[in-house]
Amino acid sequence: MHFDWPYFWHQLLTPGDKFLTGLGLTVSMALCAEIIGLVLGLVIAQMRLSRPRPLRAFASLYIWAIRGTPLLVQIVFIYTGLAAAGIMRFRDFTLFDITVSGSVQAGIIALGLHEAAYMAEIFRSGIQAVDRGQFEAAKAIGMPPSMMMRYVVLPQALRVVLLPIGNQFNILLKNTTLVSVIGVSEMMLVTETINSATFRTFELYSVLGLYFLMLTSLWTLFMRWAEKRLELSSRGTATR
Amino acid sequence: MIDKRNLLVEMDAIEKWYGPTKILDKVDFKVSRGEVVVLIGPSGSGKTTLLRCINHLETVQGGRILVNGKPIGYRITNDKLVEDSERNVALQRRDVGMVFQRFNLFANMTVLRNITIAPKLLRGLTQAEAEAEARTLLARVNLADKENSYPHELSGGQQQRIAIARALAMKPALLLFDEPTSALDPEMVGEVLAVMKDLATSGMTMVVVTHEMGFARQVADRVVVMASGHIIEEGTPEEVFENPQHPKTQALLNSVLH
Ligand SMILES: Nc1ncnc2c1ncn2[C@@H]1O[C@H](COP(=O)(O)OP(=O)(O)OP(=O)(O)O)[C@@H](O)[C@H]1O
Ligand SMILES: [Mg+2]
Repeated sequence: MHFDWPYFWHQLLTPGDKFLTGLGLTVSMALCAEIIGLVLGLVIAQMRLSRPRPLRAFASLYIWAIRGTPLLVQIVFIYTGLAAAGIMRFRDFTLFDITVSGSVQAGIIALGLHEAAYMAEIFRSGIQAVDRGQFEAAKAIGMPPSMMMRYVVLPQALRVVLLPIGNQFNILLKNTTLVSVIGVSEMMLVTETINSATFRTFELYSVLGLYFLMLTSLWTLFMRWAEKRLELSSRGTATR
Repeated sequence: MIDKRNLLVEMDAIEKWYGPTKILDKVDFKVSRGEVVVLIGPSGSGKTTLLRCINHLETVQGGRILVNGKPIGYRITNDKLVEDSERNVALQRRDVGMVFQRFNLFANMTVLRNITIAPKLLRGLTQAEAEAEARTLLARVNLADKENSYPHELSGGQQQRIAIARALAMKPALLLFDEPTSALDPEMVGEVLAVMKDLATSGMTMVVVTHEMGFARQVADRVVVMASGHIIEEGTPEEVFENPQHPKTQALLNSVLH
């Protein structure tokens, strides 16, 4: 076996601009998708726990469909499928100095919609873990549902959902590689491109793997810190 | 005994079902302004359910509930009862405070915030106003030194007194108590009952579900006895305790007093 150490170190320590742009794209897509996932997931969780039957049914259907199909299929469906059907074509747009290509938009939306289904289930279990008496006290004192959620239920659900949300984001970071199939030049596609010119496959994918390892490890450290913070700030929410 | 114009709670022919089981069977229950009503009855007789219908924590399948002259939980549209939106129900609940057996203080908030949050959000008080009122209430329940504690740092008796202060902070017209001392260690029952007696003396309208017969004798204007979803007897504490008419009341009193 031949392993080109100098090439490996060169790629690892002084990656080219393309790779760094890919890294930036990977991280920013994951963050944007996570924001969509969190907001939409919270909405869907509320729908699932709400009274009107159509809302509950829609939420269940959404979660069922998203979790029951491969993310790769969802990505291609949203970018290529919708365009082919003439329903929706993602076009590049420029905001200030940054141009966001159609494929990046589609990737973010696909990842975000996907993430939302998982977030919805996490939020739902977190909300259900809050003692019924807390809901009743909030209702009895005259809080409307939105206020009850914001001030009483969600702060207490937070300590239950923080860990699973963190784990899910870790998965999302790695899943960004899948949007390479619709031509988004994130780290994976950049690596493939360099590889097709140099054929240093082993070295290049080792580097790619190490970069992901670095991202997920940084995230894990951040989550540990966040959990400690939460524990300190919410001494009051001791579970009963 | 009941002055029609002064009715705060008016329940007529309330019916409540859980699936196939009838829990409240055409119950009529009325509370006048300033009255202290104690609700007693064997376990499972429907006391909690009746109480929770008054602030619409439970829906009813039949009958009519007016609080302060207005239907709660339901609107009357074309002479029919229509379930009201959560948002409207929330507005109606502001006038009715509730104290739970298990206290249910907001676990994520300090004592002070437990008391100030609803007045701030719902009555539109400023932080300073809400805090000033909260401190007055804390003094009233003898817990002025606990404002920065979290609920789990307090004893059951202290938590229950805070829960009473929290309910009072909304300046309710009516306070509902569901066995407020049942979850307490015996030595803490007295401190909570003392606060409730003080409230009763100050003219607060109260409906209290309790097994504390001593409290009922001393404080109640009226004692109402329930059994299997019916009100079987009611009267002044003297009438009910000294001369119970219904055999089930006699049995209940025997079991509690001896
Ligand atoms: N959520 C529910 N689903 C089905 N049945 C219920 C429910 N809640 C209460 N019940 C039934 O309704 C009846 C009345 O209950 P309720 O809690 O009002 O009684 P109670 O008089 O408060 O009793 P206790 O003294 O034990 O608190 C009981 O037979 C109980 O089993
Ligand atoms: Mg009960």
